[in-house]
Amino acid sequence: MRIELNEKVFGGRVILGPLALEVERGQRVALLGPSGIGKSTLLRIIAGLDRDFDGRLSGDDRLAVVFQEPVLLPWRKALDNITIPTGCDTATARDLMAQVGLSGHEGQFPRQMSLGQQRRLALARAFAVRPDILLMDEPFASLDAETAARMIGLTLELLERSGAGLIHVTHDTGEPARLAARPLRLGGSPAVLLG
Amino acid sequence: MSKSRRYPWQSPGVVPGLLSLLAMLLLWIAVAWLSDNPRMMPPPFEVAAHIRQIIVSGELWHHAGMTLFRVLASFILAMLVGLVLGLWMGRSRGADHWLNPGLVIALNVPALVVIVLAYIWIGLNEMAAITAVALNKIPVVTVMIREGTRALRPDLDDMARAFRMSPLDRLRHVVLPQLAPHIAAAARAGISLIWKIVLVVEFLGRSNGVGFKIHLLFSSFNVAGVLAWALAFVAVMLAIDLFVLRPWEARANRWRRDED
Repeated sequence: MRIELNEKVFGGRVILGPLALEVERGQRVALLGPSGIGKSTLLRIIAGLDRDFDGRLSGDDRLAVVFQEPVLLPWRKALDNITIPTGCDTATARDLMAQVGLSGHEGQFPRQMSLGQQRRLALARAFAVRPDILLMDEPFASLDAETAARMIGLTLELLERSGAGLIHVTHDTGEPARLAARPLRLGGSPAVLLG
Repeated sequence: MSKSRRYPWQSPGVVPGLLSLLAMLLLWIAVAWLSDNPRMMPPPFEVAAHIRQIIVSGELWHHAGMTLFRVLASFILAMLVGLVLGLWMGRSRGADHWLNPGLVIALNVPALVVIVLAYIWIGLNEMAAITAVALNKIPVVTVMIREGTRALRPDLDDMARAFRMSPLDRLRHVVLPQLAPHIAAAARAGISLIWKIVLVVEFLGRSNGVGFKIHLLFSSFNVAGVLAWALAFVAVMLAIDLFVLRPWEARANRWRRDED
């Protein structure tokens, strides 16, 4: 996956670029920077959710996103929340649910689960597309320390097992080390990668 | 949120509801007795006898069946067209700007005008009848679905795009479930509006159906007959609401409950 960004304009103001970032399967990168600097915008561009930018996005890696909130389909049961968006088979989905400690919750609707469980379900969903690179947008931001530690542990396990790469957006300077990710700082105006 | 299992007669409001019905019946008896003119104001038991007669003779089922068929056909047509238009107008600002003036006009055209013009332009046939009823209902459905579409959650949209869900899957699993409450509301409001318009359409230009029967009885000034047909058909429509629409709505809202 490679992004060469000349600039990204938002609300009449250049907020990002010029910058280039290349991430391969197995590589882990953390995008750091204060709130509002444009980390999430950059992630949305990489994920293909924002196409209104000047630059070039290339590569044919399979990407999967873990959003800041779980973003589940409230009207579909937990298992269907993996199979429907990703198109994976039921056995794979069950296996992933077991890996994130959600065995037995397959038939529950999201609102019947705790927030921590919903986040683990979102993590399992992302791995169901067998991504080459996982994109995470502050997925541990609003969690208490214990739950965050558990989520980070699970993410690490799944990354190791699947060999996927990672682009991790965070403002927590401690997180990159815990995920063994190379920290890249985003700063300046318009924001560029400071290495 | 959750409701413990109860018998229907234990729900709040049932006793006052039944008493209010009884009061209306007593009022009717009193007015009929005071007017002392059974032709103009027939007492309830006379109307009940008439209902019994049209049930036993099978007439009710034939005409109510025709009316129900028209209700169903125009209902499905109006819901489908209204859903497509509402989704389109809710999603695309351009479409909304272009179609909104027409929608506002359509909302304010009297039902009778649409019916008369449909009969003149299409002919005195079933197609004209069903089209006229559907045309009356489409703008209302469109507005309700448009509002629902505007309130669709952008985060779920992002999720669907990020996971590259197909358009059909998105419609089925992401968009329609969010619109379900709006669709159910449009359907409930729609069915009661539609059956009233269907009776007018039948009154004006069909040779069967409840509206046609009321036309005949009106010509012969048979008030008991008019009331009998009206009440019998109201009962049929209430039964549909109670045994078809409500259970469907409850099923569609299952995921909102906390425990299963």
